[in-house]
Amino acid sequence: MDVGQQLIILLEGVSLTLSISIISFLVGIAIGFPLAFIRVYEREVGFVVDAYEKIFRGVPELVLMLMFYFGLGPFFPFPFNNAFFVAAFVLGLRSGANQSQIYRGAIRGVGDEQMIAGQSVGLSKWGAIWHIMAPQVFTYSTPGLGSEYALLIKDSAYAYVIGGLAEIMTQAIRIKSIPPYDVITPFVLAAILYIALTFPIAFWLDRWGNKRKQKIGL
Amino acid sequence: MFDWLVDPKYYSWILQGLTLTVEITLFGVLLGLAIGTLLAIGDIYGGKPVKGAIAVYVEFFRGSPLFVQLFLAVYTVPAILNVPMDHALLAFLVFGLNSAAYQKGYMKGAMQTILDDQMAAGLSTGMSRGQTLRYVILPQAYRIVIPSWTNEFCSLTKSTATVAYVGLFDLVSAGMSIRMWTYQILPVWLVIGAIYLIWITGFSKLMDIIYEKKKIPGVELLMQ
Amino acid sequence: MTDIVMEAKNVYKTYGKSSKKADVKLVEAVKNVSLQIRKGDIKLIFGPSGSGKSTFLRCLAMLDIPDKGEIYLGDECLTKPGVDLNKARAKIGFVFQHIYLFRHLTALGNVELALRRVLKMPKEEARERAVAALAEVKVTDCANKYPAQMSGGQAQRVGIARALARNPDIILLDEPTSALDPELTGEVIDTLRDLAKEGTTMLIVSHEMPFARDVAEEMIFYDEGKIVETGPPSLFFNAPSTDRAKRFMDRIIKRTTRE
Repeated sequence: MDVGQQLIILLEGVSLTLSISIISFLVGIAIGFPLAFIRVYEREVGFVVDAYEKIFRGVPELVLMLMFYFGLGPFFPFPFNNAFFVAAFVLGLRSGANQSQIYRGAIRGVGDEQMIAGQSVGLSKWGAIWHIMAPQVFTYSTPGLGSEYALLIKDSAYAYVIGGLAEIMTQAIRIKSIPPYDVITPFVLAAILYIALTFPIAFWLDRWGNKRKQKIGL
Repeated sequence: MFDWLVDPKYYSWILQGLTLTVEITLFGVLLGLAIGTLLAIGDIYGGKPVKGAIAVYVEFFRGSPLFVQLFLAVYTVPAILNVPMDHALLAFLVFGLNSAAYQKGYMKGAMQTILDDQMAAGLSTGMSRGQTLRYVILPQAYRIVIPSWTNEFCSLTKSTATVAYVGLFDLVSAGMSIRMWTYQILPVWLVIGAIYLIWITGFSKLMDIIYEKKKIPGVELLMQ
Repeated sequence: MTDIVMEAKNVYKTYGKSSKKADVKLVEAVKNVSLQIRKGDIKLIFGPSGSGKSTFLRCLAMLDIPDKGEIYLGDECLTKPGVDLNKARAKIGFVFQHIYLFRHLTALGNVELALRRVLKMPKEEARERAVAALAEVKVTDCANKYPAQMSGGQAQRVGIARALARNPDIILLDEPTSALDPELTGEVIDTLRDLAKEGTTMLIVSHEMPFARDVAEEMIFYDEGKIVETGPPSLFFNAPSTDRAKRFMDRIIKRTTRE
């Protein structure tokens, strides 16, 4: 198999790599964004958020994927027998934990005065959060989110351990497993492919975020 | 479900796996710290070619998954050099090199927080740049960097789970073996996951305590 | 040979950021400045903010490298390539406006560091010298404190001790009191007065006018990168010759008399 053919096989993996990372990123927003505000503005339940973050900081994604797919799959085949679901779900949960921290930092960065100003014009606490803080927090977070997204692209490689998901890492190992058992080209190409994916996305997200930050004076 | 836990045979596997996991992690972050410091200094004081090389290095290790880098180290490198090499050694090295790419960023950030004024002060007393780096900048930078370093430690520990897939007996491998012998899947992974959790959380707590004790009064204010 | 301790000859220094955008902010901080300082001199440079005084001082200590011109320490020309600047700087004491103590070391540690690493003194000797230096500036009670635990005035005095401990040929002070709260400037000024009495060669950048009047032997008015006028304090406080100096002194006197 020559380089060109290998490249095509790897490129076929790109769509799954990207889908896993995009879905898990969105799940991460859906989880992390509210969690951050809850942690800052509803102190009594803050410990739940802390526990959640601790778990995903402390358990490897790889282990979680094995646990959900091979451990829960037999009992709850509906979601957990689906390899894509498990990969995106696990990474989504992890991303939620990371993003919760990113947004928390952004909330602090935007500053409490904005909250106070919002409430002074009559908005309720959560009204102020929704209308005043949230938009600014999102803008403030874009650089951090850029690196989080790049992380998800890279972590999509963990899906290999589930088997059956033809993302880039799996494809590379498939190439290695068939004659002539090339161990050089597929991994070099895979590395380059990942770098080609992470570099521009992270770069542009950082750039966009910093520009918007400037515009609104953060 | 969990009764296999009492069997000493499985205990010893877990211990063996945990040992390797801890070893790779510690080796990785410490090697990463050493190389990362050099990269940071090179990035601050080096000329264009040095900075360029460092940028390429960092982009490679930060832009691709550690999983792929591990395979590159364990399979690709020996194949290219046409020499059989010890898988464990290669794995240890790749974790160190990878961690260095991240730690370079943390060290550079920490150093630049204090660099201008402390370097001027050091030079003004007659010390050379190298002496100032060694006796003034780095001692402060190492303390500033502790929280980020702890983060890197947690990250690295989690990624060591991949070495099970290049034939090394780490905690995940232990789990796989136990699972094969006991046919318990979920309980085994729950326990393995819990062990990682305890190890990482415990170590983080320890580093938090160390940070509090070794903190330089007045420096955190700079970090804002 | 000469008793000229330091000399600046036709020094130029410009700094600023040339960015990709069109507006290039270049500041000509030092424009053809020459100055001689002899042993025992106590000279004070003053002038409007941003005029480049601090930059000039840093050039003297070779903390900023001049674009053009020469700096001499004794007979040695420091601006020649290949000169061991570290050795030269060891003979110059520098006190910074923002103090810049080594944060991770105690007051003693701050003073000892250069003694041990530059002058290569053995531990006990360095310790003795450091203790003596701290005593000279009257901060002995801070010996084991960290910079963050000291007041601004104490920290600056430790900074002076750090500069003194090596017995330098000259001490350069860059606005030593400007960053301090007003109540704390007194202690630093008293320390400088004592040093002046002992015959230390000093070049100070400052706007502490009472100090200037009492202690400085020569005052140098520096504006827009150049030395505009020099003379004894009596000249400036009574009748400066140049208009610019006159205007500056008027503003300063008005400010101080209003207090």
